[in-house]
Amino acid sequence: MRKLLATLFLIPIIVSPQSTSFDFRSPQNIKLFADNLFCEGDYLRAVEEYQSIQNILRNDTINFKIMFSYSNLGLYQISNNSLQSIPGTSKFKCSADYLYLVNKFREDPKGLRVFHDMPLPPEIVERRQKLINISYFYDAEFNFDKNYILSPFNDEIDRQTVSLLYDLKTDPPYKSPALAGILSTVIPGSGKMYVGEWGDGITSLLLTGLFAFLAYDNFKADHSTRAWIFTGIGAFFYAGNIYGSVAAAQIFNARVDFEFSNGLKLFLDQENYFLPDYDFCN
Amino acid sequence: MRSKLIIFFITLLLTTSAFCQIENLKWQKAYISFEKPDNIRQRNYSFESNNAGEFIKKSLVNAYWFFISDVDGDNCPFSPTCSSFFIDATEETNIFQGTLMFSDRLLRDSNPVKVNDYPRDKNGHYFDPASNYTLNQERIKYLPSTYLVVDE
Repeated sequence: MRKLLATLFLIPIIVSPQSTSFDFRSPQNIKLFADNLFCEGDYLRAVEEYQSIQNILRNDTINFKIMFSYSNLGLYQISNNSLQSIPGTSKFKCSADYLYLVNKFREDPKGLRVFHDMPLPPEIVERRQKLINISYFYDAEFNFDKNYILSPFNDEIDRQTVSLLYDLKTDPPYKSPALAGILSTVIPGSGKMYVGEWGDGITSLLLTGLFAFLAYDNFKADHSTRAWIFTGIGAFFYAGNIYGSVAAAQIFNARVDFEFSNGLKLFLDQENYFLPDYDFCN
Repeated sequence: MRSKLIIFFITLLLTTSAFCQIENLKWQKAYISFEKPDNIRQRNYSFESNNAGEFIKKSLVNAYWFFISDVDGDNCPFSPTCSSFFIDATEETNIFQGTLMFSDRLLRDSNPVKVNDYPRDKNGHYFDPASNYTLNQERIKYLPSTYLVVDE
């Protein structure tokens, strides 16, 4: 009897976890799973799950999340196509309209300016103006007044960052390749030191100086073969150091451009393109 | 007899249910190779040009690769290595400018404190392509030293 009881006790324990009575694929459960994916930043799979229940639940939040997810995936055109699924009465309509503009900006910053007179609520107009002013930083020709660029930014930290970007754009700290070349012609390695490559500059000075000294010393001692070999090596390094200084100045300037565009991108990422804060995950 | 039958069935059930939960394949001992990957760039010894200058240049580089570099091992801290940089530099510009670029590379290679100046490639070498030194601003592709170059 005891053995029979033990068997009867064991069987339900084993069978119970394998039960399929729970409906994992109900729309509510799919939504919960999609919400979790969305909050984890797995937008690709979240959007797939949301789309599978979009027509069943008919929820504005889901429609906006689909638009938001596509935007974060870099699929701006598809994201903007989702705007139609958000009705004018929805509380997300305003945010969706702004997200539409952000997508346009991310596609092509200059393309946003076409929408400068699109009718929008006042708080969104201010955000749009911030983006439009930032879009001017992407132009090759930039001659705007600093106060005009800073005007939509009220937050002090934002103003400081945009002011710094403005200064970098209007007066980038470029180094002159010609000056670097001339400096290295006069004193080997000084052109590299001028662009901040101190290690390379000192190495150039020492190596060129060493071979120049060896050549001079051997000429002085009448070892002309050795003297000419050292002269050749010295001249090889001397010419290379002038060329390298010019190239180093160009690379320095490329670094300035890179740091400007990277700083701009970091600022926009940090501000999340001035999108309103959504509390979807708490 | 009956008790043996019950024990048999209990054992069968336990084994069947427990079997699904075995993850020994996933967690078992893994065999990792500790061999150092072959970081030496694939050598191209062929003479592809009929030009006399190209022939002399390639002969010198091939001789250096065969008699010195391949015997010495993977010691150049840069990627591409200095000899490959010379080949790339002359192909991208001309023999005169390529030689100047090569001279500059040797000077930079002699600098013992270059740790923070270059991005690293997947093998830990300093990534320093010839295209950055052609004096053509458009061709410079600046990468910060914190960047890891995966696809050269």
